[in-house]
Amino acid sequence: MQTNGSADSEALSALRGEVRAWLKENMPTGWREAMTGVEQEAFVALQRDWFGKLVGAGYATPHWPAGWPGGGRSLAEQKVIYEEVARADAPRLIMYFVALYHAACTLIECGSQEQKDKYLPGILKGEVWCQGFSEPNAGSDLASLRTRAELKGDRYVINGQKIWSTMAQYADRCLLLARSGPSDPPQGGLVYLLADMRAKGVTVRPIHQITGDDEFCEVFFDDVEVPVEDRIGEDGAGWAVAQTTLASERGLTLVELSLRMRYALPRFRDVMQAQGRLDDPILRRDLGALTAKVHAACAVADRYLLKRIAGDEQVGDASIVKLCYSRTLRDFVSLGQRMAGLEGQYDVAFMRGATQETGHWALDFMNSYNWTIAGGSDEVQRNILSERMLGMPREPKAWRL
Amino acid sequence: MIEELKDAAHRALTDAGVGASEDKTWPLLVELGWLLVALPEDLGGIEQGLPGACAIYGELGRSVAAAPYLPAMLAMEAVTQSGIEDRDSWIERLSGGEYVAAPLARCSVRVKGGALSGAASAVQAADTAEHLLVFSDEIVAMAPLKTKGVEIVPRITWDETRRLFDVRLDGAALDGGVVLAEGDAARALSRRLTVHRDFALAAESVGAANAMFEMTVEYLKTRKQYGRPLAMFQALKHRCADLKMQISAAEALLQDSLDKLDTEDALTMGRMAKQLAAATYFTVAEEAVQLHGGIAVTKEHACHLYLKRALLNQHLGEGVDRYELDIAASVLGA
Ligand SMILES: Cc1cc2nc3c(=O)[nH]c(=O)nc-3n(C[C@H](O)[C@H](O)[C@H](O)COP(=O)(O)OP(=O)(O)OC[C@H]3O[C@@H](n4cnc5c(N)ncnc54)[C@H](O)[C@@H]3O)c2cc1C
Repeated sequence: MQTNGSADSEALSALRGEVRAWLKENMPTGWREAMTGVEQEAFVALQRDWFGKLVGAGYATPHWPAGWPGGGRSLAEQKVIYEEVARADAPRLIMYFVALYHAACTLIECGSQEQKDKYLPGILKGEVWCQGFSEPNAGSDLASLRTRAELKGDRYVINGQKIWSTMAQYADRCLLLARSGPSDPPQGGLVYLLADMRAKGVTVRPIHQITGDDEFCEVFFDDVEVPVEDRIGEDGAGWAVAQTTLASERGLTLVELSLRMRYALPRFRDVMQAQGRLDDPILRRDLGALTAKVHAACAVADRYLLKRIAGDEQVGDASIVKLCYSRTLRDFVSLGQRMAGLEGQYDVAFMRGATQETGHWALDFMNSYNWTIAGGSDEVQRNILSERMLGMPREPKAWRL
Repeated sequence: MIEELKDAAHRALTDAGVGASEDKTWPLLVELGWLLVALPEDLGGIEQGLPGACAIYGELGRSVAAAPYLPAMLAMEAVTQSGIEDRDSWIERLSGGEYVAAPLARCSVRVKGGALSGAASAVQAADTAEHLLVFSDEIVAMAPLKTKGVEIVPRITWDETRRLFDVRLDGAALDGGVVLAEGDAARALSRRLTVHRDFALAAESVGAANAMFEMTVEYLKTRKQYGRPLAMFQALKHRCADLKMQISAAEALLQDSLDKLDTEDALTMGRMAKQLAAATYFTVAEEAVQLHGGIAVTKEHACHLYLKRALLNQHLGEGVDRYELDIAASVLGA
């Protein structure tokens, strides 16, 4: 089966061929094996190397404006690049994701010319960014965050704690959302800052995850100073800027991830064979039902992006894509771990930067929660869907803690 | 073009009402030319192919209309694809409203000495047809129904909007019928009809699921208990959100597959579209009845029409579970 049907125009299929050929030539082969049972440093080295190659080829920043390496690509072209990356099973640029998308798009859309000149070139050179939004007491309800930013002369002084900040232990800079004024309405009084992770008063503590990874961290700010010129947007307008950050990857990630899931369907054959259960009709039936769902998740992500390209996205559409992917992924890993049987319970060495379809089913099962919790949990997506898309009334807000 | 077609069908069927009878909807669809949607222009059609037909199937599902459009369309497709001499006059007869019945489930018909034997199940409105379309790897033919060796057995079905029959053939003569394809050609045509049938059932299921779901959300918004609309309770909101996501997925798979029909394995794509759509419609129906409360289990309310159609649709085509196994075989390579 092909990735893409008759939809490609000539120009797009030329790009597809070009990317495919480049990946064949340049992709680190055997990276999954090389990343299994190794320390975090090996993963970091692979990420740096792969990032450098992609930047060089212009495939890391197709979404940046024209003038930047590979920049000025249409959404349709970006989609082709993502599809080919998934098809080749190339490593995801986990360490640079926040820099390339969240930081860059926020700078490009909301930053001043000075800020763009100051930070964008650094991103291309490999500066790592992290996102400091969530706090121990501000998860789904992000607007309730309490990290303080006090304006003193020409600088903000930051005090507070962030959590779940992906790759913060390697980060040079942080997209920091903090409170500088009253929370009335809750989304008011926020300020959006670009904090230096090497500044005095920043402490980073990696969090040990259930998989053996430590992909995210707690970050503590003790009287950390951030110059006013590193503020994006006005003081008090932080919430709006943060929305730009959260919208920055524009559905591309889920096109890639759902395709990765589809390309990984043959892993079920491997595990059934290994278990001597290739002919088991129970497993076969469940695999059949799952396969249709996986193809549907791809179609949902694909059509969402086409809608965006056509400019007729509707409120709630993004929630359908996210919820569809996360639920299908949960079904995917659940079936895999069931098929793997007792064998799947014996701990294997952890694979770093692995995505959710390594074929180490217990690991994949645990990793899949990333997608049901982060980026707006399933429950939050269901709230958005039912209230904003289906028009079901919100609950009264009178209740207070 | 397809959007216009869909809107027109929607308007006509809304006027006809939910669960409208065969008597009402069959003449309507003949008159509006829906039998011609997939037909090439040089044969008098509007050339919208299977996607065009699916737009109509979707709307018929939405209103759980009784007209036997799918069997009629299978016959139309079979005739169009065949190389028979009097093809054009047959197309004229069919598009003029002459109904040829066809099985919506298993069809195991064999040729023996120029006669047919076997069975065709879930044949819709068989009592109103002169001919039955049979299709297998061996033969595709329009067999005469009013002849010796043919037994037509009405099967009273829970889904009252579909009048189904078993047709048993026991050495039924083909005289007066038309052989449309034999041998390799029969295999290819039979596959094509199977793909059409699966996509049609998928489109119909998605349409019906959407209608039933919208009805349910509307009901929850207007029905008040505990001093508030039921739609305000998060426990119910989340169930609706999940249903919406599932319907969107079935719909996206259907549309995406229709877009790619020429490039990928059509048989597997049809199976996936049918399996997911029928399973989703079934889930929606189950939930919709529960969310309506007592009113849903009365005959006054339209819920039961949609529920019964959902139950039936799962079993049409290759039948529940068989689809899953066939899809799995495509992944496992055997
Ligand atoms: C892998 C991973 C990476 C992450 N990376 C980052 C990062 O780089 N930077 C960053 O800032 N944050 C990051 N996060 C944090 C993420 O955004 C939060 O985990 C998420 O917002 C949920 O918050 P919480 O974990 O506090 O859960 P809570 O909000 O406490 O939720 C607990 C449970 O309650 C449910 N719930 C919450 N509110 C409602 C409601 N209104 N209705 C119904 N149910 C509700 C939730 O769905 C969940 O099931 C990451 C998280 C993960 C898992």
